[in-house]
Amino acid sequence: MGEPFSWGSVLSAVGVLTGLGITFGALLGMASARFKGEENPLVEKIDALLPQTQCGQCGYPGCRPYAEAINQGDAINKCPPGGEATIHALADLLGRDPAPLDGEAASEETVAYIREAECIGCTKCIQACPVDAIIGAAKQMHTVIEDECTGCDLCVAPCPVDCIDMLPRRKPLTQWEPIVSDRQPLRSANASL
Amino acid sequence: MPAYEFPGGIYPPERKERSNQAPLRTAPLPDVVTLMLSQHTGKAALPCVNVGDAVNTGTLVAHRDGMVSANVHASISGTVIEITDSAIVVQGDGEDRWATLPPLDWQTAERDALLERLDESGLIGLGGAGFPTYIKAQVNEHHAIDTLVVNAAECEPYITADDLTLRHYAADVLEGAQLLARLCGAAHIIVGIEDNKPEAIQALQALLTVSADSELLASVTLKMIETRYPSGGERQLIKKLLNREVPSGGLPADIGVLCHNPGTLLAALQAVRDGQQLVARVVTLTGDAITQPGNYWVRVGTSVDTLLEHVGVAREQLHQVVVGGPMMGAPLTSLEAPVTKTTNCLIAATKEELPPAPAEAPCIRCGACESVCPAQLLPQQLHWYARAENDAALEAHHLFDCIECGACSFVCPSAIPLVQDYRSSKQRIRHKRIETAKAEHAKHRFEFRQARLAREEAEKKARRQARLAQQQSASSDATGIQTAPAADLRSLRIAQTAAKAAVRKAEKVLARAAAQDPQQHHDDLETQLATAQENLKAAEARLAEARAASEQKEAP
Repeated sequence: MGEPFSWGSVLSAVGVLTGLGITFGALLGMASARFKGEENPLVEKIDALLPQTQCGQCGYPGCRPYAEAINQGDAINKCPPGGEATIHALADLLGRDPAPLDGEAASEETVAYIREAECIGCTKCIQACPVDAIIGAAKQMHTVIEDECTGCDLCVAPCPVDCIDMLPRRKPLTQWEPIVSDRQPLRSANASL
Repeated sequence: MPAYEFPGGIYPPERKERSNQAPLRTAPLPDVVTLMLSQHTGKAALPCVNVGDAVNTGTLVAHRDGMVSANVHASISGTVIEITDSAIVVQGDGEDRWATLPPLDWQTAERDALLERLDESGLIGLGGAGFPTYIKAQVNEHHAIDTLVVNAAECEPYITADDLTLRHYAADVLEGAQLLARLCGAAHIIVGIEDNKPEAIQALQALLTVSADSELLASVTLKMIETRYPSGGERQLIKKLLNREVPSGGLPADIGVLCHNPGTLLAALQAVRDGQQLVARVVTLTGDAITQPGNYWVRVGTSVDTLLEHVGVAREQLHQVVVGGPMMGAPLTSLEAPVTKTTNCLIAATKEELPPAPAEAPCIRCGACESVCPAQLLPQQLHWYARAENDAALEAHHLFDCIECGACSFVCPSAIPLVQDYRSSKQRIRHKRIETAKAEHAKHRFEFRQARLAREEAEKKARRQARLAQQQSASSDATGIQTAPAADLRSLRIAQTAAKAAVRKAEKVLARAAAQDPQQHHDDLETQLATAQENLKAAEARLAEARAASEQKEAP
């Protein structure tokens, strides 16, 4: 025969379980408030994969807004500066199917160059530059800081005298892919089978 | 002292006897020299002469750019005839007038004067990597150094430049070692040399027995090691001599050791004692296509073609010219290329001598590469990952600990060019890192701009609000103008506090980085701090605006 039924044990069990629930609920609540992430971590991850040219070719004002839009479900193939590599990286991250690039991929890295003799000092390009890479003042000649320019060509359209060219970027020697020869000069005599 | 063992290693044919028979000779003065601006690790030097300038031997033609870089000097006297993006060309006048620096006595001179001299003389490591010597000599400011290793192992086949340097200049090399040991505060000097150089060993032993009573040479130990490739890799040599292991991703300085090549030590002594800039080096000229192989003092910038002509090259037999050793060197694509400060050997090989590798076959997973790897890596795994461009897995398998010695390719029965795969993978990963850093930089600048625009907007609004409030209090008709929507003061105050905290955090991060690495620029962290400050200002402006608006509402 089992234990006799008693209301006391039922009540104590209910009481203990309720107590546990309240305690752990409070703990969880406190933890979620204490360790709350500031922003959506997925947006950060998407943003990190974008090339940060801030060119706006995706239709959003900068890379971060596009990252947010992708997180909301927008297509991942709207970034021409990133090209196929970015699409594949995003597809891997988000578990979506890679789609062909919407638009023309940039054939080479470019940098803006102002033909200084023709510049009239209107400051329109300075206002357009998303990374503050153009210096100058009203009625003074402007020039591009080559190292800061991302090659987004947002400055080209606003220029009233068309004095901005997009030129191929010079690469320093250290950034070349190594020329690897297909010849290994010396090989072991007993290495060939 | 016992010798310890490093893992792996191979025994390739040595082929050193061709170039170590003849004494050290001097190559004739070239008519023209091409001085490369980037002969060293780090940034290329910046030209400081103009076309048409007259230069003497040892005249500075390009000065170093930044910390990790080295000066370049004219190696003959004459006239600068061309300056390109990558090189300065000097036409010689055949007179070889020197512009030496005043001699210094390394035992009495100030440490700073010696370091400055090493810097001025354009001294870099002559073993192959070409790291500026004056930086290496200052490493004890961050790490305590107890031992200076003279790396005379010279484990690559064919090369005998260090062997001949030691035979002819043993005393000078040891004196140079003492000079650098003094600069880096090392108490011991160990000369590590492979046992296939009996004459160099004899020269060193003779010197050490003759002057054993001298206090200076008492600190020097000579240690012979078994001939096995790649015992001349600095990590392998340190393991062999001292049984210490350089940590992954670390430097010998982390375990209190500095390695120097004998040629570097000789050049350091010549720079200090004689005031000679680094304008010449010992180069091994060897290979079956050469009739007078041997070691020569060669002026930096001499073209390979001129040199080979001098030592009698049989052009019809010449198959390829390899710069450096056969294991780690690279074939030249043009004989016009000049000798640089790091060119230690030129092999003019016939086709029979260094035949082209047979066609690559699939990996049969025999594991031969793994057993010879001196860095204890898994070459097979790295091979799969390198071909798949799986960069994360490559880094997880410590690709960057690969010393590119080529032992794995040497033994591979399928003739897979393993080490070339690793080299290109390393370069690809480095390239990617640069791209990521650039993107990050652009992002910070973009964020700063956004913050600045927001701040300007907020301040404009606040000013307008303040103006409105003034007008309102001046005019009796207060109820006519309705202003901005009721701002939530509390959430604005929270935003302002958060912005303040962000500024403090950015300041802290910047201060920590600056304390760790005072010489580096922390542009990105500074931009982040500026962005946080802009955000704070914007939050303050919004708060001020809201306060003005709420006061205005309460006023009537």
